[in-house]
Amino acid sequence: MNMMKVARRMLLAFSLAAQTNGATAAPTAYQLQVDGLACPFCAYGLEKKLGAINGVASLATNVKDGTVTVTMRDGVALDEASARKAVEQAGFSLRSFDAMQSAPQAGGRQ
Amino acid sequence: MMRPRAGAASLALCLSAGAAWSAPITFNTALPVHEGGFVLREQLVFMKNADDPTPARRDMEVTGLVSVLGYGVSRDLALFGMLPYVDQRLDMRMGGQGITRSAAGFGDLTVLARYTAFESNAPGRTLRIAPFVGIKAPTGEDDARDRLGRLPQPVQPGTGSWDVLGGAVLTWQTLEFEIDGQLSYRANREARGFEAGDVMALDGSLQYRLWPRSLGAGVPAFLYGVIEANLVHAAKDRIDGHDDPNSGGTTLFITPGLQYVTRKWIVEAGVRIPVSQNLNGTALGNDYVATVGLRLNF
Repeated sequence: MNMMKVARRMLLAFSLAAQTNGATAAPTAYQLQVDGLACPFCAYGLEKKLGAINGVASLATNVKDGTVTVTMRDGVALDEASARKAVEQAGFSLRSFDAMQSAPQAGGRQ
Repeated sequence: MMRPRAGAASLALCLSAGAAWSAPITFNTALPVHEGGFVLREQLVFMKNADDPTPARRDMEVTGLVSVLGYGVSRDLALFGMLPYVDQRLDMRMGGQGITRSAAGFGDLTVLARYTAFESNAPGRTLRIAPFVGIKAPTGEDDARDRLGRLPQPVQPGTGSWDVLGGAVLTWQTLEFEIDGQLSYRANREARGFEAGDVMALDGSLQYRLWPRSLGAGVPAFLYGVIEANLVHAAKDRIDGHDDPNSGGTTLFITPGLQYVTRKWIVEAGVRIPVSQNLNGTALGNDYVATVGLRLNF
């Protein structure tokens, strides 16, 4: 019985720790508003540049809205300067950079 | 002397400087090539010039595969290399007999640098102006011969001369349409006693999104309807220092076409039709130029 109690307490502790880490970890996704993006062929270079940033797990581009949602690997943050540099190198302009708290469900380039 | 104004030089003229990576079918664009990225373009071109006002009944056909590789040096500077492979044939009557002169091979290499001098971006739209300069190297054969001797210059795959070109292109792109305009000038130089006339061109292109009519999420493929106009003026050729009165002139082309544009590739087709030709002397008129092309992003 004592072993069972210890096991339950350890499980609870892991669960709480995981929830705590989840609350304070870096956001897993970011939404970039990109100016100048107006055709599918242009989106390729933008995605290639953003995808080369360390820690990027996936990208979801929406040409209509001019947005790219960047999902990061767990525990990796995306800084605005890196995102801006990638957008500029692709030939576009970064209008806004917003952190999201969860990864989107929409599919995109992996 | 009656000269067909065709051949590799004219094919290059038809493709202009900008067979480079472009949104228009017949000339350049100011849209970016991402830094460190490549764009490959392959164009299969068939040109027919058979509008001959003389008894020689000249009929010139040129089939060309034009390869263009673009590289993004930086966000503003892109380099392009263009190399055509041409197979050209001239049929005509001489002394009551039909004769054929033909040649095939790689043409002249054109290297072009384009710099984005002005850029204004907004959500779903961009306005850019990019001047460009280039040089054409005489990499193609310019002394090809057959049983009748040296082929006439317009049938040679190469020109033999180092030529320079320059201009500027403007692009206004939105999610619904794109407009491009270009002004270019090519200064041709002499080789083997022949100097092709300088060429000035004013080009315009409208690409309108036909499908999808309304945009959804993601990066959908676009089908564009394309209409282009090219006003091309060629000065008279010079032979051994003298103007050839049967060369040069002004032509207005209209090119309807279609483009299917995806994230990684574009396929396109267009037919360039001369709607007005004001040529000097007996210069051979153009019938049409048909183009199918593929572009790849990598």
